[in-house]
Amino acid sequence: MERRDFFKKSLAAAGAVSLAGSLEAATTGQPIDGRKVSKISFPEKRALITYSDRPPLLESPRSTFSSVLTPNDEFFVRWHMPEIPTYIDTEAFRINVSGLVNKDLSVSLKDLKADYEQVTVTAVLQCGGNSRSAFTPTAGGIQWGSGAMGNATWKGVRLRDILERAGLKKDAEWIGFNGMDNAAYYETPSFIRELHLDELDDHVIVAYEMNGEDLPYLNGYPVRLVIPGTYSDSWVKMLSKIVVTNEYQKLFFMDVAYRIPDNECECETPEKKFPKTKPITKMNVKSFIGYPTNETVVHNNSHIVVRGVAFDDGTGITGVKISTDAGKTWQDAILDNGELGRYSYRGFRHTFKPNQQGKVTIMSKAINRAGEEQPFAADVPWNHGGYKFNGIDAVTVDVI
Amino acid sequence: MKKILLLSILAVSALFAQVKEPIEVPYISYEIKMGEGFGAVQANCLTCHSFGYITNQGKQSRAFWKGKVVKMVDHFKAPITDEDSEIVTNYLSEHYGNGK
Ligand code: HEC
Repeated sequence: MERRDFFKKSLAAAGAVSLAGSLEAATTGQPIDGRKVSKISFPEKRALITYSDRPPLLESPRSTFSSVLTPNDEFFVRWHMPEIPTYIDTEAFRINVSGLVNKDLSVSLKDLKADYEQVTVTAVLQCGGNSRSAFTPTAGGIQWGSGAMGNATWKGVRLRDILERAGLKKDAEWIGFNGMDNAAYYETPSFIRELHLDELDDHVIVAYEMNGEDLPYLNGYPVRLVIPGTYSDSWVKMLSKIVVTNEYQKLFFMDVAYRIPDNECECETPEKKFPKTKPITKMNVKSFIGYPTNETVVHNNSHIVVRGVAFDDGTGITGVKISTDAGKTWQDAILDNGELGRYSYRGFRHTFKPNQQGKVTIMSKAINRAGEEQPFAADVPWNHGGYKFNGIDAVTVDVI
Repeated sequence: MKKILLLSILAVSALFAQVKEPIEVPYISYEIKMGEGFGAVQANCLTCHSFGYITNQGKQSRAFWKGKVVKMVDHFKAPITDEDSEIVTNYLSEHYGNGK
């Protein structure tokens, strides 16, 4: 987004918020925080916050976000279909490429690892509905806190290299991706994603490794699509089918789900939904504090090191600011060196010494190269799907 | 020569899965509010997803719940009769409603 657009956008957003206020209170606040992890842990995972077992929906607790790479066993999980394969025969597994190609491909894991250039990218995977519980009235969808995100180093093969091997026909335009998860009924539409060729740059990879290990089953073993900078709805897990077409297929999960109002502020009111919608695609600028948490108790006059993560769509984080006076004044946090690349979390830290007993709230705000910065939670405009919340984070600790 | 050897060993070892047997996704029992119409929920709503998936949407209006049941039938092809749809909508707005 151009800087100019951004200012226009924030003006429009401000207008929409006051308008909403005069109708029915559509408001936003801090997402739900501090939900307990469940007693039961899922395969290859530690105990995480658990919303559903079928399909599995697991969220990382706040403490996960004090490290820049999210450990595989703490990484969030979100499936759409209840029937997910619980076993993959690594010998038999194939990714089939067909449609408008010169040559159909059937790529084994062995081919993938031996016949193509191996590449890595560190990239944030975030559900578009992450932090949805911030929205009132309650937006439809899982009422996530802010832990439906994670950051990993993905290793695999460029999608472009696979498509090149197959050879795209002249009229090829859309690429459909399907994973191996299935609905309980045959008639239920599959969770197929479609991307336009223009959306596929060299950063898009078919990944088989996550932080130096096999992908966990629940994160899409043996291979998944990685689309740096975009929300996770198109990062198809257990990717087994790639179909090239010249026409956009009508797909439920493309045309109805994961869409936001197609206006400047991307906002609407509960009574008056904006008729035109667009896909969520690129992530907005966001930061999140991993330590301390809302349960932390600290001693007066002791140094605490606030740690967290910040990211955007790859434009590039340029700063994170910390406030301990409700946003009146801000101080620069120290950013890590950014060596993991522009699609990764930037870690930040900031030393803070409370000098008064009682509750103190610590806020974090990220800013990127385009001059975009996080709004206060209350200024994030409402949308009916509860997507793209990126309000300034706030953690309240007890000083004794 | 040495390098090639090393490469092929790596390639082979990476073909073994970390987990060599089927994984088992645990079952979780969700707290469910008992009441009129629960039978219809049990019969119609738990084949494709867990109860947690339904109730973790938060407290919602009757219109929201009605809309969801319609969506299940229209978009996801759930075989639910009109009569049961009505009963499920009533149950959800009674026990997981927001008073609207
Ligand atoms: C035919 C299979 C099927 C049946 C039966 C079914 N659902 Fe669903 N349901 C789905 C699918 C598929 C989704 C979407 C999954 C996703 O996007 O993650 C879903 C999602 C939902 C959601 C989440 C909100 C949303 O819009 O995605 C709610 C709430 C829900 N179902 C309620 C119900 C209720 C109540 C019933 C019983 C009347 C029911 N479902 C029966 C397939 C089904």
